[in-house]
Amino acid sequence: LATFARQGVCLSRPHHNLLYRHAAPMGTTAKQEMNKFWDKNAKLNRPMSPHITIYKWSVPMMMSITHRGTGVGLSGAISAFALAALVLPGNYPYYLDLLHSLSIGPYLLGLTKFGLAFSVSYHTYNGIRHLFWDVGKGFKIPEVYRSGYIVIGLSLITSVALALL
Amino acid sequence: MAAVIRLSSVCRRGFKPLLYQSALLARPLVVVPKHRDQRHLLAAQIHSSQTLYGGSDSKAASLHWTAERVLSVLLLAMGPVAYLSPGPLIDYSLAAALTLHGHWGLGQVLTDYVHGETKEKMASAGLFLLSTVTFAGLCYFNYSDVGICRAVALLWSK
Repeated sequence: LATFARQGVCLSRPHHNLLYRHAAPMGTTAKQEMNKFWDKNAKLNRPMSPHITIYKWSVPMMMSITHRGTGVGLSGAISAFALAALVLPGNYPYYLDLLHSLSIGPYLLGLTKFGLAFSVSYHTYNGIRHLFWDVGKGFKIPEVYRSGYIVIGLSLITSVALALL
Repeated sequence: MAAVIRLSSVCRRGFKPLLYQSALLARPLVVVPKHRDQRHLLAAQIHSSQTLYGGSDSKAASLHWTAERVLSVLLLAMGPVAYLSPGPLIDYSLAAALTLHGHWGLGQVLTDYVHGETKEKMASAGLFLLSTVTFAGLCYFNYSDVGICRAVALLWSK
């Protein structure tokens, strides 16, 4: 019984044992199943069930969406930079000097540097955390929180250090 | 017949995550007569067996997943290299790795939030266009301007 509980298998109806004995593979892929779900609900015009508006936010949840947010943001910034390189006349040092001449002020400058550094640091450190999960390590809830706080701490320290450079 | 304890009656509600807690307590308990254990173990094995799932034998999704992680590790390694020995080789490698990592990452975002045949196709096409332009722009920047490593160095020396 102990080994069985550890496997975490949950059966709701007893006769499923018999079905598993002669299990047949499903005829559809996961992607097809997901598409069927969305098609059916879109066709029936069903409203989406409230989720992020009612579920209590947790640190792992916030860290996860922040990872996505920094990723999308950084990707957008890189794409914008690449587009600018293709479209704008003049070269990089020219535009840097242009920014220099705007005399932006140390605090705003530091803040921008911090924002950039934090996005890169956080996404990198949390990315490493993800890679640990990908090899199966660190899934216990206390570990998730512990690694999470470490990522946040490291990100802040790194970004402050980089912004002060 | 197997008696099953319902999940809701077993899972503790509102547990404090910071306190160290045995992982076993959060799992559903199944009370089962002894002679059924063999079949349940078999069921568990069948469930976890990869080859029996899916209509096709395609490992495309699995390979994609692995490639994403390999690229992530590669990109991680490129950081120190870019800092310690900047130059055109690492500039172009960074351009490729960053663009591809971003392309695949945004692809996952699209998969999560965009649903429906036509919407998915349009979003994918848009993403492909964006990534192509991004890579072209970065390569152009590397070729006819200071290059990625130098650009970051200059930006920070501000």
